[in-house]
Amino acid sequence: MDYSSLKSKLDQQNRLIESLEKELTDLDQQRDKLKPNEQLAKLLTEREKLSFRIKILKRSIQEELSKPKSSSAMTSSNSARKLTSKALPPTESKNKYSTSITDTLYSLFDKAIQAEFSEIAEASVVITGSNVADYQCNSAMAICQALKTKGQKVNPNQVAQKIVANIEKNDLIEKTEVSGPGFINIYLSKNFCQTELKKLVMCGAQAPFIGEKKRIVIDFSSPNIAKEMHVGHLRSTIIGESISRLFEYFGHDVLRLNHLGDWGTQFGMLIAHLKDKFPNYSQEMAPIGDLQAFYKESKKRFDEDEQFKKRAYECVVKLQSYDPEIIMGWKLICDVSRKEFEHIYEELGISLIERGESFYQNLMKEVVADFEKENLVTVEDGRKLVFPPGVSIPLTIVKSDGGYTYDTSDLAALKNRLFAEKGDVLLYVIDAGQSVHMQGIFSAGKQIGWIKPCHRIEHVEFGVVLGEDKKKFKTRSGDTVRLKDLLDEGLTRALAKLKEKEREKVLSGEELVAAQKAVAYGCIKYADLSHNRTKEYIFSFEKMLEDKGNTAVYMLYAYTRIRSISRNAGVGSQQLKEYVASNSISLDDPKEWKLAKQILKFPEILIKTLNDLLIHSICDYMYELATVFTEFYDSCYCIEKDRQTGEIKSVNMSRLVLCDSTASVLATCFNLLGLKTLEKM
Amino acid sequence: MTTPEEKTEYLRFIGLNDQKIQETLKNETLTSLLLEIVHHAKKVVNGLTLEKSSANLLYQTGTKMKSQIKNRLPLLVESVVNKNLTTEPQLTAAFEYLISHPGQDLDIKSFNEYCGVGVVVTPEQIKQTVQDVINEKKCEILEKRYKFPVGSLLGELRKRIKWADGKLVKTELDAQLLTLLGPKVEQDNVKEKKKEEQKPKKSAATEQAEPEKIQSFMELAGEAINFHKPGENYKTEGYVVTDKTMSLLKNHLKETGGKVITRFPPEPNGILHIGHAKAINFNFGYAKHNNGVCYLRFDDTNPEKEEEKYFKGIIEMVDWLGYKPYKITHASDQFDKLYEFAKELIRRNLAYVCHQKNEEIKGHNPPPSPWRERPIEESLKLFEDMRKGKFDEGEITLRMKYTMEDGKQDPVAYRIKYAHHAKTGDKWCIYPTYDFTHCLNDSLENITHSLCTKEFQSRRSAYYWLCNSLDVYCPVQWEYGRLNLNYTVVSKRKLMKLIQEGICNDWDDPRLYTLSALRRKGYPPEAINMFCGKVGVTMAQTTTDISLLESCVRTVLNVTAPRAMAVLEPLRVVIENFPFESKMEIDVPNFPQDESKGTHKVAFDRVVYLDSCDFNENPTDKGYKRLSLTQPVGLRYTGYQLSVKEVVKNADGSVKELIGTCARVGENVKPKGFIQWVSNPVYFEARLYEKLFNHENPEDLKEVPNGWLTDVNKHALKIINNAMVDASVIGSKVFDKFQFERIGYFSVDPNSTEEMMVFNRTVSLKEDHEKK
Repeated sequence: MDYSSLKSKLDQQNRLIESLEKELTDLDQQRDKLKPNEQLAKLLTEREKLSFRIKILKRSIQEELSKPKSSSAMTSSNSARKLTSKALPPTESKNKYSTSITDTLYSLFDKAIQAEFSEIAEASVVITGSNVADYQCNSAMAICQALKTKGQKVNPNQVAQKIVANIEKNDLIEKTEVSGPGFINIYLSKNFCQTELKKLVMCGAQAPFIGEKKRIVIDFSSPNIAKEMHVGHLRSTIIGESISRLFEYFGHDVLRLNHLGDWGTQFGMLIAHLKDKFPNYSQEMAPIGDLQAFYKESKKRFDEDEQFKKRAYECVVKLQSYDPEIIMGWKLICDVSRKEFEHIYEELGISLIERGESFYQNLMKEVVADFEKENLVTVEDGRKLVFPPGVSIPLTIVKSDGGYTYDTSDLAALKNRLFAEKGDVLLYVIDAGQSVHMQGIFSAGKQIGWIKPCHRIEHVEFGVVLGEDKKKFKTRSGDTVRLKDLLDEGLTRALAKLKEKEREKVLSGEELVAAQKAVAYGCIKYADLSHNRTKEYIFSFEKMLEDKGNTAVYMLYAYTRIRSISRNAGVGSQQLKEYVASNSISLDDPKEWKLAKQILKFPEILIKTLNDLLIHSICDYMYELATVFTEFYDSCYCIEKDRQTGEIKSVNMSRLVLCDSTASVLATCFNLLGLKTLEKM
Repeated sequence: MTTPEEKTEYLRFIGLNDQKIQETLKNETLTSLLLEIVHHAKKVVNGLTLEKSSANLLYQTGTKMKSQIKNRLPLLVESVVNKNLTTEPQLTAAFEYLISHPGQDLDIKSFNEYCGVGVVVTPEQIKQTVQDVINEKKCEILEKRYKFPVGSLLGELRKRIKWADGKLVKTELDAQLLTLLGPKVEQDNVKEKKKEEQKPKKSAATEQAEPEKIQSFMELAGEAINFHKPGENYKTEGYVVTDKTMSLLKNHLKETGGKVITRFPPEPNGILHIGHAKAINFNFGYAKHNNGVCYLRFDDTNPEKEEEKYFKGIIEMVDWLGYKPYKITHASDQFDKLYEFAKELIRRNLAYVCHQKNEEIKGHNPPPSPWRERPIEESLKLFEDMRKGKFDEGEITLRMKYTMEDGKQDPVAYRIKYAHHAKTGDKWCIYPTYDFTHCLNDSLENITHSLCTKEFQSRRSAYYWLCNSLDVYCPVQWEYGRLNLNYTVVSKRKLMKLIQEGICNDWDDPRLYTLSALRRKGYPPEAINMFCGKVGVTMAQTTTDISLLESCVRTVLNVTAPRAMAVLEPLRVVIENFPFESKMEIDVPNFPQDESKGTHKVAFDRVVYLDSCDFNENPTDKGYKRLSLTQPVGLRYTGYQLSVKEVVKNADGSVKELIGTCARVGENVKPKGFIQWVSNPVYFEARLYEKLFNHENPEDLKEVPNGWLTDVNKHALKIINNAMVDASVIGSKVFDKFQFERIGYFSVDPNSTEEMMVFNRTVSLKEDHEKK
């Protein structure tokens, strides 16, 4: 090319550059002219402030948790809402508590992230399990995203590197590596796991430290007098019992209340009927055999006989004025019911304090006055209503005839549990159908200032029980299934199952009865608890008695089998303790290592469950533990026997420790679920 | 003591007449003090009346006593009533003694000695002493007769017979003088004419007047500053002395070794302006002058606005003004301690947590807080909850139980702000206010003199109250008048607006009065310091004219900016008879008034450029001294004068260039004037600045009804692209300054490139820069 064509080409290029530059400046100017969106700016500031506040609050929570209770008598903490194990326990008893690995990792990574990216409040810590490593932290991507919105460009890999560089010294993590687009793979320290396992052998399965001990008031079971308990009550009873045990396991002070339906207009007709049938009831024991039938009779009369109806109302009035004779009749009827309930509770191993609606009768007047004093009462057609914010249906606290309702008694119960019982956590294990009602009660409690942010008040709701036909659980004739009948059927079926497996030949008579009950009630409970409580649940004896899959039968069997390993080797728990005191537990075999990690997941499962009250996580964990154990047991010899003689040639103590730890965790789980374990089955 | 009758009766007790009483009652402070005096006095006299002289001294006590010795009132009253103190000099001595001896234990013996208690001066003693004094000066007295200054005699007498009754002494002196000199004669009444001071007329030769000396801030302002000595805080009017004061001061002296310690405490949320220069000079200057130290303390209690660039800018400007901070500190360094102080204040029941909203306590007479008397424990707990983030912003504050001079009740000490702090990060969400922080920071840094502007006078008592409430060392607050300049605005918000509106380019636009702008414009720091010294001598609030600042700039640049020749609007001239074969190098002095400061070379060639305004074809003004068709003009430093031979014109009739001839200046060849010129010049861009606002007080709505923004002078910046300067400026650095002869002082702008230098006109040569 000659000079002139080069020159013209150059000129052309120059012109192009110039025009592009001009375009750029124009665009720049236009951008400057774009009006900033005021609302957006406002929201952005708001968000910034809120993120900042989150950070402050998070730290305050840690601060409050780590403070010994005595020195902070004044600080009722907001942090009660969520219980975590992030804070360290007081040093003197530090060694006893177990460690939740996820929560510890969370706090390690939280600190590391805060150190480097404190300007990003939303830099949430995400810890998950990992296929490659033991755990994984996936926060780098989110941080990158947040930095991008602030105009900083970094790649997630660098962010991850920075986080890793900031992790403070700890016993937990063996090593970390950054892989791919910024995943941080976390490898646990074997040393740490050995120490934790040792603790487990020495002290048994312990709960992690969660700070202050709290007062828990839990309302569950709550059947109605003169009516039979049905499967709905069964769910509440089983779930409530298990949740109570969980809180107690963490050392909380749990008050288990049975909110019996023992008051109300139905007592008028029952007592009127009682008077007619057994006029002498105040002197002689009235032999009411079948209270259910008695109820039906009186109901029939009530519906058909105007005179009777009138007398029934009179009885209600007398009951409410505590007429001694009428009260006696009321007690008599309650006693009959109570006896039935107690039998069931005893069979199922449930403990409860009876505190029915009658208990709150005298407190209701005051509750109405409280609401009136705060001007929260609206009078409509002679009824006194409370409109709790955010709830569509108002509460009726006084009827037009001056009487009280469930709303009133539930409010009275709420007040009593908060103030007289000083509950920090109030739980109501009631079916999901009551959720609007409970929302109303809670919202009113907040509105009037009884419920403070430091309280945790929860409706632990559960779904309805369905039959195998996926319709409401009923008898063939369409009646409600009586709980007593159901349990009896369970016992029959469990025995049949045991006989099918020819267990009667192995077990003594006593052992067989124990096994029968353990299997029957265990199945019923386990089937209920292993399902997500918020969902509907299909009741099926067939399914719950299966010996494969995540069932009580399988789990109980697995447990006895593990227990028998040490027993067969002739090694007792004392020997195991002595062994771990001076030897380290081998975790070199991949199966050993996998089992150890699964065992040590127990504390984090507990913490999770304590927060969401979804007991099925514990069942899932148990099942997984049993599965991992089987893998381990299949490939790792614990006891070597001579093939011919069957004599024990050698015992691998370290592996027996793993067996024993597994069993001890499983036993704790069973106990939390309210299941009885068997040494032999 | 409530009824007016009682008050009147009390005031009458110390000898006030009805009219005086009415006057006094209008002054509430004085009245209450006098009532207190009478209250004490009545106890001492025990039902008797007071002697007139004592009554008078008691009244004097009420009017003259300084507030910091108020705790000594009973002693003073007792001394007066018991006739230990009987004369005004004694009372004055008593004040002096008490002021310099604060603290609990008073040595009564030494007090009495100091005040001359019990010293009796007899008339004979007076007579003798007067005689002695007169005899000593007899000759002079006889010569000057009644023109002799009697005051000096009285002064001498006061020294010798300190506790004598002043009236008696005066009477005796007058009598003896009369005896000596006899009655006044006519001559004594003639006033002596003041000798007319003959100012030496400036001769033409000395027109190059002796340049004014560049003086430092303290050389100018120092004399007027009369602050207390370190450790003698109690000597300052209004300083509050408590039980702990003396031991705290003792400790303070131990820690500081008696050094003067000051601080310059800017908020790091803006750019320093000329007003700050005064604060910098005051604080750093005073400390330096007294061999003390000065902290640069960033008052960073407000987290939302702080930016790193402000920190840097402030440090840079302090350095530029020539001051070195002893240490750079931050108010936030003390957040931990301040938090502890706040808790202590609550424990002492002097602060409480309040739920009133900001809107509720704003404005006039806000309702008192209903939370004032809440239990201490509750406040402590809530304060901790504030720190922990349990409340919303604005929902809750910590307030001090104190009413300020201006009536503002219970100022806020801490408030919630969910904002990241430049220094403390996310450690805090509660931040202390100015009122809470400032004095405690001063105390913690052992500041001896806390200097601030007059606006803070109303916060002085709160300052003392807080330090004393916590029993910590209490510095003395001294106020000085704020510096306001006319024809400009300095508030951060307004400067921002000017930049946003595109009127100014940035914070350092030379039309502004930020320190960085002044530096860019070419103002030397010495000039700014000198200016501060000149306005600083007054403690009053003043608005100062820019011309004073400009004259300081000229004073400094006159002796620091070397000369150069430049033409802003060049006019080409070809010298036909250029006497040399090629261009000549001429030596030109850097400072014509001081040749010892060296010379530089300037090229002189066949083609020279003049400033086109120095040529006028047909001037009408008879006093015109520069080039015209008929009038030659001298070319400075060449020794030649230039005459016009031919005017070459453009098509439109304007002058294109000149053809000229030159002649050597000698006995017979004397041009009326000399002008600057350039040859083989360097092109440069000249930026000429005028006042940015048309009115003196652009913010005054009376002067500028449509608001300050409408008052902007759109022609405040004029850019000349093809100006020329001699080559001596080549190689100069940014901010180097020159005097372009006959035009003004110029400074190299940072926008200069290798190809094109840019000069800012710093200031013209004279205040009215019209050329003669």
